[in-house]
Amino acid sequence: MSEEFIKSLDPRVSRMQMPADINEQPLQKEELDQLVTYQVFMQKKEGKNFEHAGIVHAPTQELALLYAKEQYSRRFTCSGMAVAETSAVLASPVTDGGLSVYELLEGPAPETDGPAEAYEVFHLMKRGKQHEHAGSVEAATVEEAFLKAKESLTPEKPVLNIWLVRRSDLLTIDEEDKDIWQTLPEKGYRDAVAYKASDRLKEFKEKN
Amino acid sequence: MYGGGNTFEKLQGTDLQQEDPQQLAEFEARIQRGEKIEPSDWMPQLYRKQLIRMIEQHGHSEIIGALPEGTWITRAPGFKRKLSLMAKVQDEVGHAQLLYAAAETLGKPREQMISDLVNGKSKYSNIFNYPAFTWADACTISWLVDAGAIVNQLANSRGSYGPYCRALERICAEESFHLKYGHHAVTYLATGTAKQREMMQAALNRWWGPLMHFFGPPDKMSVHSETLMRWKVKMASNDDMRQQFLDMYVPKIYELGLSIPDPKLKKNEESGKWEYTEPDWDEFKRVINGDGPCNKERLAVRRTAEERGKWVREALKASARKYVAPLA
Amino acid sequence: MNKALKELLYKMADDQLVLGHRNSEWTGVGPLLEEDIAFSSMAQDKVGQSYQLYQMLHQLGEQEPDTVAFMRNAGQFHNSQFVELPVGEYDFSLIRHFLFDHAEFLRFGMLSECSHEPLAQLARKIRGELKYHVMHANTLIKQLGTATEESVSRLQQSLEYALPYALGIFEKSPYEDELIQQGIFAGEAELQKRWAEQISKALQPTALQLPSMNSLQPITGGRRGQHTQHLQPLLDEMAEVFKIDPAADW
Repeated sequence: MSEEFIKSLDPRVSRMQMPADINEQPLQKEELDQLVTYQVFMQKKEGKNFEHAGIVHAPTQELALLYAKEQYSRRFTCSGMAVAETSAVLASPVTDGGLSVYELLEGPAPETDGPAEAYEVFHLMKRGKQHEHAGSVEAATVEEAFLKAKESLTPEKPVLNIWLVRRSDLLTIDEEDKDIWQTLPEKGYRDAVAYKASDRLKEFKEKN
Repeated sequence: MYGGGNTFEKLQGTDLQQEDPQQLAEFEARIQRGEKIEPSDWMPQLYRKQLIRMIEQHGHSEIIGALPEGTWITRAPGFKRKLSLMAKVQDEVGHAQLLYAAAETLGKPREQMISDLVNGKSKYSNIFNYPAFTWADACTISWLVDAGAIVNQLANSRGSYGPYCRALERICAEESFHLKYGHHAVTYLATGTAKQREMMQAALNRWWGPLMHFFGPPDKMSVHSETLMRWKVKMASNDDMRQQFLDMYVPKIYELGLSIPDPKLKKNEESGKWEYTEPDWDEFKRVINGDGPCNKERLAVRRTAEERGKWVREALKASARKYVAPLA
Repeated sequence: MNKALKELLYKMADDQLVLGHRNSEWTGVGPLLEEDIAFSSMAQDKVGQSYQLYQMLHQLGEQEPDTVAFMRNAGQFHNSQFVELPVGEYDFSLIRHFLFDHAEFLRFGMLSECSHEPLAQLARKIRGELKYHVMHANTLIKQLGTATEESVSRLQQSLEYALPYALGIFEKSPYEDELIQQGIFAGEAELQKRWAEQISKALQPTALQLPSMNSLQPITGGRRGQHTQHLQPLLDEMAEVFKIDPAADW
């Protein structure tokens, strides 16, 4: 039987016992098994602002956070992380040429009596860079949150894009679990500085 | 780990005629000013199409690129190499994740891309269709294929599409570890016992041809596109990248006392350009079209991974909500 | 005390190395990119922890970590048989991760009070990464253990297959009393008790049925160097390059 399986140089692959004609049939995917995406925000050090890092695909927010930890902080220093489902991120238009997106927002905020909620505000200061946490506001509606951000958070430089996320839509690592970022200092094998071949090379050159 | 090459479609004369001239002018002016394009901006259909194609191929090259080195993941000699190789192959998977995410912002779902890869509808870097016969092959890939990829990726990171630039920024930072690790591992073989040196030289001999193919056919042979250059989709010519690679790495290879299997290889002192035996571009085409030593196995592994993981994804999806493309 | 301590360190180190090696077989071919990355990190953690333990043994007079890990034969390994079983399908790998990592987390937790200070220190240093392993295992088992008919039945079958092997983790050492008396380790029986509680708690929110532990016959022998037919080929594969020239620098 074994000759009907693909024999690989990789013993892991040989153990997969792949039939030799496996590629002949198209892969059937009736429906894309596509999971939800979550935007990941990361704090590199205590005291620094959270910054957008990227996304993960995950079925739940809880798992998104665990996946984000390994995808985005396995080699960079990290002291905090938060995830929000992509659909929970409320984005303004994107501007350019030195125009701040806040200039497009007309105030004052409409009077509302609903209960106020906390929103986290993220700014994009340069195209091609990441959104950075700028502060938070309390507001009853999204419109009001944008306008309140304009009143309280507008920096001197033009803001090209604003993201609002309800605090209740963000999941973060609990304070008591932050030790998951404490790791062995011997993890250096992931860093370029751990690989110094120069002495060996020098010795080799001297001998030859 | 991605080398570029002839991955662009030919432009049709009519492609841009359907676009709104004013929007097109604004779009081009933005790129001219050196500002990045973000996903919610207006962009020409052709720009979107070519970027999806390029970033998707880059993503595929990472996930398939995990396989040749993965060949030695269970056999790396000693703790240090074992851990390094595990981390390096993991990084390639991580890079695929980042790149697919960048392509997703242009409107193509990730599972669609993976499905197109497995069904042979989209390409990946040709070099991964070659086998890693020995441990030294894995080290050669870690050093020189990654070195080539860095040349290409650094060029691309100056491109015009914001999400791709963000992904490449992170990827290039991680590649610096790959390069140092690869050089370290190669140095230990090249300066080691006779047996180790022999393994290393044999591996380099095997990989030199694919490395010369890595950046794609010479500019005079490949689809020349001023538009894609103007839009900062294609950032450097194949020949320029190849020259840059030779400039940086040939001296480092010689320094290790290794030889390069090309008697014609030398730098022309007048032109400052490297001269070399023209790689076999027929072989390149043959391999890219499916007839290389490992094409079949690479796709089979990816497909098997998909099939074995299907129940997991189905079960995860059971509680998941509606898919929304990532924002940035 | 040295003999007892060494025996403890060896079995822990061998468990971590063999399972980390096994789990690295999933790197690049996992069921979902994000899961592939997370699982690979945990495999690296295990190999890294085994290195630390072999290093500690080296300080107690044993050979270099590379020699110990790459040159011994199956009969000289003290890992439980559980960790040497092939990776199988992802359901088995996941269940093994869940059952083993709970035991590992608790074991190192107990060792953070260990009277051998280097071991206590290591246990405290890796607490964070072990906690992540358990969080990951619990979250996925909860997710998949409640999702589809297929996922529940796969996990259930793997759980039933794995449990007797998992109980082999707690095979008693000949130095059990000595370890307890000297404040090195509170003992396998105590560990197993705590483990059974945690496993049962973590499975509560799932559709999985935990078989009664008392009705199971633990599969032991690994701690005494008795192994399944899977270990020697694993070790041969791991050392294939290293043994080309064990004296060379790789």
